[in-house]
Amino acid sequence: MNAFYLINLLVYAAVDAMACLGLSQQFGVAGVTNFGFIIFQAAGGYAAAVLALPHDSANGGFQSYIGGLNLPFPLPWIGAAVVGGLIAVPFTFLVGRRLRGDFAAVGLLVTAVLLNLLVTNYRPLLNGSAGLSLIPTPLHGDNVFSVQTAGYQWVFTVAAIVLALAVYVFVRRITGSPYGRSLRAMRDNDVVADSLGKNLLSLRTAMLVTGGAIAGLSGGILVTYITTWSPAAWGYAETVVLFAAVIIGGAGNHLGAILGAILVPVGFEEITRFIPTSNSLPPNLIPSLQWVAIGLLIVIFLWLRPQGILPERKRVIRLPAARAPAARMAAPPGGAAAAAVPSPRPPAPQAHEQPPAAPQDRPVVLETVDVTREFGGVQAVAGVSIQVRKGTLTGLIGPNGAGKSTLLAMLAGTLPVTSGKIIYEGRDITGVPAFRRARLGLVRTFQLASEFKRLTVMENLLSAVPGNRGDTFRGSLLGKRYWQADETAAIARAEAILERFGLEQFANHYAGDLSGGQRRLVEIMRALMAEPATLLLDEPMAGVHPNLARRIGNELVALCEEGMTILMVEHELAIMDEFCDPVVVMAEGAVLAEGTMEQLRGRSEVVEAYLVG
Amino acid sequence: MTIFLSSLGFGLVTASVLAIAAVGFTLQFGVTDVLNLAYGAIMIAGAFVAYVVNQAGLSVWVGLVVAVIACSLGSVLLNSGVYTPFQRRGTSPITLVIVSLGMTLIIEFGVQALAGGTAVSYTMSQGTTFHAGGLILSVVQLVVIALSIVVMLGVHGLLRYTRLGKAMRATAANKSLARNCGIRTDRVITITWALTGGLCGLAGVVFAMDSGSFDATATDLFLILILAAVFLGGPGQAYGAMLGAVVIGLATEISAAYITADYKYVVAFVALLIMLGVRPTGLLGARA
Repeated sequence: MNAFYLINLLVYAAVDAMACLGLSQQFGVAGVTNFGFIIFQAAGGYAAAVLALPHDSANGGFQSYIGGLNLPFPLPWIGAAVVGGLIAVPFTFLVGRRLRGDFAAVGLLVTAVLLNLLVTNYRPLLNGSAGLSLIPTPLHGDNVFSVQTAGYQWVFTVAAIVLALAVYVFVRRITGSPYGRSLRAMRDNDVVADSLGKNLLSLRTAMLVTGGAIAGLSGGILVTYITTWSPAAWGYAETVVLFAAVIIGGAGNHLGAILGAILVPVGFEEITRFIPTSNSLPPNLIPSLQWVAIGLLIVIFLWLRPQGILPERKRVIRLPAARAPAARMAAPPGGAAAAAVPSPRPPAPQAHEQPPAAPQDRPVVLETVDVTREFGGVQAVAGVSIQVRKGTLTGLIGPNGAGKSTLLAMLAGTLPVTSGKIIYEGRDITGVPAFRRARLGLVRTFQLASEFKRLTVMENLLSAVPGNRGDTFRGSLLGKRYWQADETAAIARAEAILERFGLEQFANHYAGDLSGGQRRLVEIMRALMAEPATLLLDEPMAGVHPNLARRIGNELVALCEEGMTILMVEHELAIMDEFCDPVVVMAEGAVLAEGTMEQLRGRSEVVEAYLVG
Repeated sequence: MTIFLSSLGFGLVTASVLAIAAVGFTLQFGVTDVLNLAYGAIMIAGAFVAYVVNQAGLSVWVGLVVAVIACSLGSVLLNSGVYTPFQRRGTSPITLVIVSLGMTLIIEFGVQALAGGTAVSYTMSQGTTFHAGGLILSVVQLVVIALSIVVMLGVHGLLRYTRLGKAMRATAANKSLARNCGIRTDRVITITWALTGGLCGLAGVVFAMDSGSFDATATDLFLILILAAVFLGGPGQAYGAMLGAVVIGLATEISAAYITADYKYVVAFVALLIMLGVRPTGLLGARA
């Protein structure tokens, strides 16, 4: 094997690994499916080219292109990364919250094809389908290096590999931080992440730009190595190859991305060398079969091993040294949640002499004014005006289809109102998006299973913590020393909550592996970690053992005594009876009555609504 | 004016091919909630089936019938054998799109492996050309337009007036509710894929007829036109797909007459991106 062959292999491996790392960060970690990924590598390649090339009249003017600034190394490479990142910005409109993930992905795919068409057909831009050639290699002008020597080539190779390793360290740093955890939460369930205070648009934009910059850099390196670049090198099929690499190697695992890069783009090319060529075979057969094989690999891997060869590692968080066992009762492993007994809570310290104010005399923290929600002509919620008062555990009941969950969703911001106003702590928040409401202290839970499945229970809890210094892009880059203190404090809080609800031995289990009742508890604990002032619970006791439901109810009452306001949608009238005061009854989208359960039981229209509705 | 009219003629033909294809695609999506990106690959597979029949000495119209049957069967296999098992597992929609991309590679390049990379064309006569005040259309083109109208009417009749059509609309609107109402949704889905697979094959053959010469990758760009038409009209809405097809078909060809022909697809792509960004439910879809 001669040296130039090895150099070629290594450079391609480094470039492909870098591109796959960028894609792994975008897709595997953050769940942003960017089928236009190749555009960013192409943009970087072209940027490096037009920055390094002399003016297009040079060399007899056989190419026409913009730029031609003849800049020295390393500016073309830096420019490649910058352009790759900038190109991402216009596409953020496709990945904002409003569009379905698969639609957005298709939009990006279409964009890739569109841009390829434009570049191919508009020759003055980047020399059209012929592409750019005679691209200067780095440091070509200096007489220190003679470009053709093996020495130069080896230095280039080492530079490429070093940069690939730098990118690896960079993405690992992001992913291992609290910010990375928020990205993974967004990937697992974006609606829930939104409701916990994550700004999805900002996160996705950051990932598009980061991935774009990495891809751009890889393009820049590649282009200055092969010294040519044309639209044929970056059709949308190339994106599919990169996706195949990341899926096979292991989405969400950065070493997996590198492995995938070696196996798929590089491996495929190399394997074809060993297939004997024969003149009896049609010339197109081997390349066609290569594509068929890639397609088969994608489908087979997604079926048999969707997590890839190197799956995403479970992040185990060491809890501080075990407390004295007498303080808590350990539940049997895998036992039903009903067996877990939260440690008895000490009575809330009575800070005030007078008894707490009666519910109807307390200040209003959350109210709706004539709120309506329509779905295609049907009014799910029709002109509802309710008031939730501070420190109360307010119940919201009604038969199926009454509009309770819809109302709760509008309060939380998950669903926009059709008309009406929502006022929180004196402020009109009708137009405020869900994640901002969460940051204001208005947090909700969900009716159906909504834990972050591929995060551990501990990570689920930590993801909800507001104000962690490591939960910003900048914070993640500054590294562990910057955010470790906040993280340790958050872990301590999480551990305390786990003990309170008796689930501490599941701290490092994947949340998706727990039983239904346990997941329900995780949901509530996670909402509490978000430091809510007002908590909106959507059927927290659904499907939960009555004993456990009672314990949850007691916890909620205790929280209200400490000053939290809770609005709880529930079906179980017994629960309402025991814990809630006041209770609001809805039926057919409107408020029917309000009062204590005793008062409501006496009202015929309430009883009828439940029997009939 | 003659430029406009002749491009209008091209536009009508393109819109016709597009309408047949888009209606099939959108119905598949409506009933199964899968963006079957392998649709273009099945189209070109159908075109090649007709080619093989044609090369064997039979008329290309016979080939068309064979292609329709083949693609119908192939599509049913694709859904039952690939998409449904993944869906039963709870696979996310985005992963299903990646699966469909994988299937695209398998089918398209499988065809290329068998048929070779060179472009081929049907042996058929275009028939006499008709001139109507500037519009110039050959018999074959007129037949394509007529076929498309027949298909549109047929789909309209099916969806509106037959029990099957209503069952399809119910399944598309709310599958579990439809099942609870006694509709055999699995059977409805299989029949839908069989019908739309047939439309896919038909679309492939008329596409090949309209293109003159074609190779295995010829439908790559056309798939984007289909997506543009589907999203313009609203994904899952059959009438929306028809509307989208007419708009996109006419817009691309007429713009091609006035801007360079190379850019004609750009109009469609930009329309698609704008729809996705501004109104993803399409012109005829319900407001989200």
